[in-house]
Amino acid sequence: MLELRLVQGSLLKKVLEAIKDLVNDANFDCSATGFSLQAMDSSHVALVALLLRSEGFEHYRCDRNISMGMNLGNMSKMLKCAGNDDIITIKADDGSDTVTFMFESPTQDKISDFEMKLMDIDSEHLGIPEAEYHAIVRMPSAEFARICKDLASIGDTVVISVTKEGVKFSTRGDIGTANIVLRQNTTVDKPEEATIIEMNEPVSLTFALRYMNSFTKATPLSNTVTISLSSELPVVVEYKIAEMGYIRFYLAPKIEEDEDETKPQV
Amino acid sequence: MGIKGLTKLLADNAPNAMKEQKLESYIGRKIAIDASMSIYQFLIVVGRRGIEMLTNEAGEVTSHLQGMFTRTIRLLEAGMEPIYVFDGHPPDLKKKVLVKRYSKRANATEDLHQAMETGNRDDIEKFSKRTVKVTKQHNEDCKRLLRLMGVPVIEAPSEAEAQCAALCKSGKVYAVASEDMDSLTFGAPRFLRHLMGPGSRKVPVLEFEVGKVLEELNLTMDQFIDLCILSGCDYCESIRGIGGQTALKLIRQHGSIEHILQNINKERYPIPDDWPYEEARYLFKEPLVCTNIEQFEMKRSAPDDEGLITFLVTENGFNSDRVTKAIEKLKAAKDKSSQGRLESFSKSVANTFIPIKTKATKSMLQFPKSMFNSKILSPQDSICSRPRGFSSMAPLCLHFKHSMVFSRVVCHGI
Repeated sequence: MLELRLVQGSLLKKVLEAIKDLVNDANFDCSATGFSLQAMDSSHVALVALLLRSEGFEHYRCDRNISMGMNLGNMSKMLKCAGNDDIITIKADDGSDTVTFMFESPTQDKISDFEMKLMDIDSEHLGIPEAEYHAIVRMPSAEFARICKDLASIGDTVVISVTKEGVKFSTRGDIGTANIVLRQNTTVDKPEEATIIEMNEPVSLTFALRYMNSFTKATPLSNTVTISLSSELPVVVEYKIAEMGYIRFYLAPKIEEDEDETKPQV
Repeated sequence: MGIKGLTKLLADNAPNAMKEQKLESYIGRKIAIDASMSIYQFLIVVGRRGIEMLTNEAGEVTSHLQGMFTRTIRLLEAGMEPIYVFDGHPPDLKKKVLVKRYSKRANATEDLHQAMETGNRDDIEKFSKRTVKVTKQHNEDCKRLLRLMGVPVIEAPSEAEAQCAALCKSGKVYAVASEDMDSLTFGAPRFLRHLMGPGSRKVPVLEFEVGKVLEELNLTMDQFIDLCILSGCDYCESIRGIGGQTALKLIRQHGSIEHILQNINKERYPIPDDWPYEEARYLFKEPLVCTNIEQFEMKRSAPDDEGLITFLVTENGFNSDRVTKAIEKLKAAKDKSSQGRLESFSKSVANTFIPIKTKATKSMLQFPKSMFNSKILSPQDSICSRPRGFSSMAPLCLHFKHSMVFSRVVCHGI
């Protein structure tokens, strides 16, 4: 038996919009701690990890650890039928092959039930190692989305490098090159407008912009985004979900070819 | 060609050993491809109309070059790193099959002449396809083309499939691609079909894992090889009356060809006089392959533009605009394969969540045998005696799909 009641229903709508283009089908895992999801895109280059803690729900009942396989496109279709102010309740019975989404309008004068078929999905869970990152950049999420969108019109890949000077996003394409440098900036009126750069070691990594642009679909969930970088590790792009949890995107870097030739022989 | 009826046998008896994959899911992976098989396919399919095929000015067939060129570019664009393996000398045992194929081709040539006289178009196409033979020249052309494209080429000492399997076993490549089910018998851990299919048909890639095949059939590798020999392979004739299903039943019952021979009714199933099953088995288990894998150049190099234009446009009459465009694609694709994969950073872990949707009826129908089979039962038994908690769940979860009863046990355990 599973029953989760989320007063701020728009949050779930935004979560789905953020991940449905990256992953087609995924298992939602439900335990006493919370409602979570971990899924890779079909080419196993990017991974999304979502956590909505149980405390964030008005009512949270989950008797045992269960997973529900859903087609995210279909789930998104159903959630689009919920109003932005609606309260969303997710319900499922043991052994059932469907999940029910219930939408209640804030004035309680309209109640809708949507029942969706569940799927059997073979999913691989990846163990994500806790890592110390060489550099962590926190910046306004809208700014990051703008940069990724702009660079994608010039090239396919972005080089993100963090040095003492700041964080640099650069690309190169047939028509030319582009470099955007952001400096640390904490003297702002609102804390969410700050750009904060923590750097232990300079780092420079290359990523496919196609994926970065897909991650920025999560921008409506949070005013800020945190980008954690380490050489030879996937980048983590994290959007915090207020008082509930997070949505994290992991992306494997592009591997510089011919490393053997360019590196000096020791 | 290959093992008779193995695909169907696996589809019926080991459905979980095969899964459909998208081309893009192999991004960044090295794949060994049985080149001779691909060339044969190209000669049959690419640009054929009746008995006419793509040719250059001198009238030499160029279907294989066209096929190799466009489909290799397609693989590269999907971010894969293909490595082509060519056949060497066939093993002596295969010569019988080769002689048979030769006579079949001769028959087909006769049929073709007849069909051309009567003018039956379908027959003409059918028989002319059967007369196709991959010559040394075709192989050499393709090697030259691939080298100009900067794609690695490996020449196997004997069978290409065996060499592919050896590369895959050593972990030098992620999977073997062929249309020939032999690759599984040679023990290629991961085997792909339909990888070289035409882009227009959008056929998904079919991935087989030999480990899962063995698990699902509940056979050892040696027994699986015996099963393939019984079903009918390239190296020796099959026994009349024994097909894949019967062979599987016999192997499950008796365990090996030796025991089967002692126990079956020889009148009902006449054993051919000359039936070198032991040698066939040896060829599958210890094929002649080059084990010094380090010597192979597996890295891609930059394509030779001028060389390609000379070879394809000047010598073989390809359209120069198309070749130039293809070369651009080839260069752009170089960037694709540099994309890393997440698996290289973190390991797969067992999921500790149980699907709410239980598959009782479906799995009971699908796994009636394995349910009561000792191999599947034993881990179940051992888990029940383990202490409760998450740590004990890891091996257990691998099996939860097999029955609802089992997942119920799990629920109480938590």
